[in-house]
Amino acid sequence: MNKLKQLLFLSALILLVSCAKKVENPHWIINEVMVDNQTGFMDNFGQRNGWIEIFNNTYKTQDLGGRYLTDDPNNPKKYPIPRGDVLTRIPPRQHALFWADNEPFNGTFHLSFKLDPDKDNYIALYENDGKTLLDEIIIPAGLPADKTYGYANDGVKYDQNGKQMATHLERVTPSSNNAILEENPKVVSLQENDPVGVTITITSMLVVFLGLILLYVIFKTIGNTAKNISHKRVASAGTLSAVRGESLLTGEVLAAISAAIHELNQDAHDIESTILTISEVKRKYSPWSSKLYTLRQDPRR
Amino acid sequence: MNTLLTLSDNLRTFWDYTGMANASGGHIAMILVGLFFIYLAIKKEYEPLLLIPIGFGILIGNIPFNEAAGLQVGIYEEGSVLNILYQGVVKGWYPPLIFMGIGAMTDFSSLIANPKLFLIGAACQFGIFGAYVAALMWGFAPNEAGSIGIIGGADGPTAIFLTSKLAPQLLGAVAISAYSYMALVPVIQPPFMRLLTTKKERVIRMKAPRVVSQTEKILFPVIGLLLTTFLVPSGLPLLGMLFFGNLLKESGVTRRLAETARGPLIDTITILLGLTVGASTQATTFLRPESLKIFIIGAFSFVVATCAGILFVKFFNLFLKHDNKINPLIGNSGVSAVPDSARISQIVGLEYDNTNYLLMHAMGPNVAGVIGSAVAAGIMLGFLY
Repeated sequence: MNKLKQLLFLSALILLVSCAKKVENPHWIINEVMVDNQTGFMDNFGQRNGWIEIFNNTYKTQDLGGRYLTDDPNNPKKYPIPRGDVLTRIPPRQHALFWADNEPFNGTFHLSFKLDPDKDNYIALYENDGKTLLDEIIIPAGLPADKTYGYANDGVKYDQNGKQMATHLERVTPSSNNAILEENPKVVSLQENDPVGVTITITSMLVVFLGLILLYVIFKTIGNTAKNISHKRVASAGTLSAVRGESLLTGEVLAAISAAIHELNQDAHDIESTILTISEVKRKYSPWSSKLYTLRQDPRR
Repeated sequence: MNTLLTLSDNLRTFWDYTGMANASGGHIAMILVGLFFIYLAIKKEYEPLLLIPIGFGILIGNIPFNEAAGLQVGIYEEGSVLNILYQGVVKGWYPPLIFMGIGAMTDFSSLIANPKLFLIGAACQFGIFGAYVAALMWGFAPNEAGSIGIIGGADGPTAIFLTSKLAPQLLGAVAISAYSYMALVPVIQPPFMRLLTTKKERVIRMKAPRVVSQTEKILFPVIGLLLTTFLVPSGLPLLGMLFFGNLLKESGVTRRLAETARGPLIDTITILLGLTVGASTQATTFLRPESLKIFIIGAFSFVVATCAGILFVKFFNLFLKHDNKINPLIGNSGVSAVPDSARISQIVGLEYDNTNYLLMHAMGPNVAGVIGSAVAAGIMLGFLY
């Protein structure tokens, strides 16, 4: 039993201490890029140009204003995204679309550079300080016209092994999700693989039991430690309160024993006098508690 | 003549706006349900703190009105006062605040003194997953089944929290079902407790719990939080607030905060939660065949949870020494209707031995059930959200 407890305690420690190393996806992601726009989406000026879609990969609204977009690794501040534009406040898990048309005076979302379909295009997003890299991507040369490059699942840059997932995308989806989710994939998967719910029941009950067994083991250990400390305290102090702390007797029994010892020490008698004294309780007067001030007067009739 | 016509038009318009003109059979049925809840609360004293707000909320939510007029009075009309109050339910921030209050008023000593009682709290969560399986078999989608299953946790705030995330369309039915069965624990549990135990088992006397030191009480919420939320982070809002409230109580230096959490704050939130959950049962959206199914599965989940707890204790006793056995009558209290199910253990126990007080022992699994159901809700959220 002791070995089992030690094993469980060790497992608990391992569980708590072990932190899986995982490559985290950035909070902003350059999610989809079109380099050569021949017949695709047009901007407000009726122009077709390459575009860059930035994805807010968090569950909070973030402001892109003040950050920098660039196609030059040596010039991180090439296009400062204007501050103060409400449109740069991107809601959770939503997108912003920037036109790579080299027409920055056409508006907030028009960049000061163009993309070149004949060479690799480096694109990066920098933090407000112009030094901290938020995300970068290299679009390989030769991306066909009207095709896009990016991430198949919005915001998922790395797989579980930390490998980059950027790829040629099948569908062009400016300002909308790259992967269209019609239904909750977890629910769909459960409907297919666990229609009666047995697997999820077993898994969940295992987790519930594991959690509470760990609590049991930890508090059993803490309890035993507390008892040992208490034993030592009794041995060194020898006081009644210390005895009470580690005794197996119930509180009621100990109270009776204590009362008996007290009576013995005080030489008190079992039969007490039957005189009852009632003392008057005096309270200091305060206007705050005066009925005169706090009660309403009867209305005059 | 024109005046008469205008007058008649006005009266017709007025009539169109009255409750009488818009009432349906559903409204009347729900009003009767609301009155029944109020009756149960006042006359039978079944969970009056919950059933009075819920019962009156049902009345409020089922006053018929012209929904097409956009008067912004109904709970489902955006911008109405009731709708604003209902956001605490929809967005799920009432339940964690209630959990903080529960933490601040709960004494975990009996559980710390006898930590094996944790396992009874875990066993009773079979009610949740039994109901989940039943709901799946009855044609509900997995996320809906998860919301329905959590009724078996017998924990109103947890049920509301999870349903608001997984299947908001079922919120009214799940919440009403959970709170109704919590109020009916004195009716549901005793027959199964008697059925599954022998006379000899019912009179088992358990050892008095040892005295728990202040240090252990302080360590409990800290370790409890770290351990459970590392295991199931999705349970963080509920577990975090539960253990936080408990630390306020046990630290000994935040008495004012603890008193606020377990007093005025939890009372305020209970009023708002009960009233708006009741009002959310507006007949036009609530009265559906699914609601009836949810009520049936809810009852089933309570029965499964109760039986699982009792049977688990009997099984557990096979491995315990003679002087260390657990009275199976406390098995039902792993159903986390605090403190009602523990009180049932005490009442039924006293019927068979009027000097055997089980309440303090039953409080252990009872509060373990609260932790267990919050963990189970976190797991459901992780799997289904």
